[in-house]
Amino acid sequence: MEYYKSNVIKAALISGVLSTGTVQAEIYFNGFASVVGGITASNDGKLYGYDDSFDFEQGSLFALQATSDLDNGLGVTTQIVSRGSDDWDPDFEWAYISYDATDELRFLAGRQRAPFYIYSDFLDVSYAYSWITPPTGVYDLIFDTFDGLGAIYNTSVGEFDSSFQFLYGRNNDELNAFGEQVDADFKGLLGGSLTLTRDWLTLRGGYFQAEMNVPHTGINQLGGGWQQLGFTDIANTVYVSEDDGVFVEAGFQIDYNNLIIVGEYTQLTLDNTPLADQKSYYLMAGWRFDDLLVHMTYGGDDNSKNDITASVNYFNNPGDDPFKNGVNALKGGTQGLVNQQIEEQNYIILGVRWDFHDSAALKFEYTNFSDDLNSNNDAGLFRTALVTVF
Amino acid sequence: MNIIKSKFLLSILALLFSSSSLAGVSVIVNSANGAAIDEGDISRIFLGKVKKFSTGDKITIVNLKYKQATRNEFEKKVLNKSASQVKAYWSKLMFSGKGKPPKELASDKDILAFVAENPGAIGYVADGSVDDSVKVIKSF
Repeated sequence: MEYYKSNVIKAALISGVLSTGTVQAEIYFNGFASVVGGITASNDGKLYGYDDSFDFEQGSLFALQATSDLDNGLGVTTQIVSRGSDDWDPDFEWAYISYDATDELRFLAGRQRAPFYIYSDFLDVSYAYSWITPPTGVYDLIFDTFDGLGAIYNTSVGEFDSSFQFLYGRNNDELNAFGEQVDADFKGLLGGSLTLTRDWLTLRGGYFQAEMNVPHTGINQLGGGWQQLGFTDIANTVYVSEDDGVFVEAGFQIDYNNLIIVGEYTQLTLDNTPLADQKSYYLMAGWRFDDLLVHMTYGGDDNSKNDITASVNYFNNPGDDPFKNGVNALKGGTQGLVNQQIEEQNYIILGVRWDFHDSAALKFEYTNFSDDLNSNNDAGLFRTALVTVF
Repeated sequence: MNIIKSKFLLSILALLFSSSSLAGVSVIVNSANGAAIDEGDISRIFLGKVKKFSTGDKITIVNLKYKQATRNEFEKKVLNKSASQVKAYWSKLMFSGKGKPPKELASDKDILAFVAENPGAIGYVADGSVDDSVKVIKSF
């Protein structure tokens, strides 16, 4: 609700800026949409929110963007996205004022997409890439946007066009963590990305850090329990409060005649928390036949965490001792919390994109997902999408 | 066998000939434009990566409407991209607020008129459409 309010204020501010100018600025509207249907192959298989009943809501979205160029390098961009997975509640994904200081340097203030990944800038614009959505294994940070300041510096380095993007801001949206809506707060989000492009080759890297505050009820109960029993160190590790998270990304893209190859590697390190560290990657290769693009992707995820309760042993015979029983329960609960996040999984995506229309494409994709730790989670997912820009 | 071979060669020659006999595209600027523009600059200009001419004047790109034969040929030969790849390229920039696709006009005649009127304009037309109102910087 707070979030909704702040966006209404933002929108009001923006429209205020637009209407107070002596010359009314022109506003341009553009949009994009994806209608995605998906169904899992097996009877009880579940993957990325899909199950064995055909679903058209989960991955579908509609977006409308309004942009306006004010004089003297100022511009305003807002983008509202409505997602089926959010009961079609519209959200501001972008809402910022930009200032072009020079042809090379642009500043942005407001709500923006953090350039975590290759496809971050146009994450929802399925028309702009091959898959229906970029591989979920890599594209799974808990948030994608932030409120704050950004700067983009474009220049040429020898034969390369380079783009450096810097950001400083915060995300305090309500997020879903372990099945609970949490008022998370990622403060002091600081980072940057560098993209180098030469003809058919693009190289990219990014580094980001933020102070994480995730007041999750279950996690805080565990932390409170450890504290009560005097294990302050473990309690501090369990609480996700004022802990630094670090995210690193490296990627490349080759787009040579009919051949397209894309790869990305990401690493998330969440020290001093019960949250698993993550390493993910994918490699995609595709070939264009006129209006058809056929592609194949292999990807893997590895989530791991050291035992944060290692300094305390289970009591073999706790008897009626409330302290011993308390330690056993807390150790079990904490290990359970960590263990449910441990993952070793990989997937293969086979897909086709057909550009059948000037502004629309039809896509088909099959994802074969394997869980190396629990084969009960193996699943096959078939998806199809009609995507457009307008 | 020899006959088949020579027929095969002939048909290849015919293919080569027919593809090189496509209309041809001329990149044009305003006749008062004195900027030095080399071949490598042209694709970077049309992808919005270069925003000013060597003279310091602001560049205004003008494009033919989507999927016209001359536009397809230009995009294939100069940008080395298909029509939908170019469209995807601009949607990436547009929906992150980083760039707007160029203005689109319906015909070679409209492009010639626009380039003749605007000192910073750059566009392209079929070779056969070129007239004295503009300056050709390169033909593909």
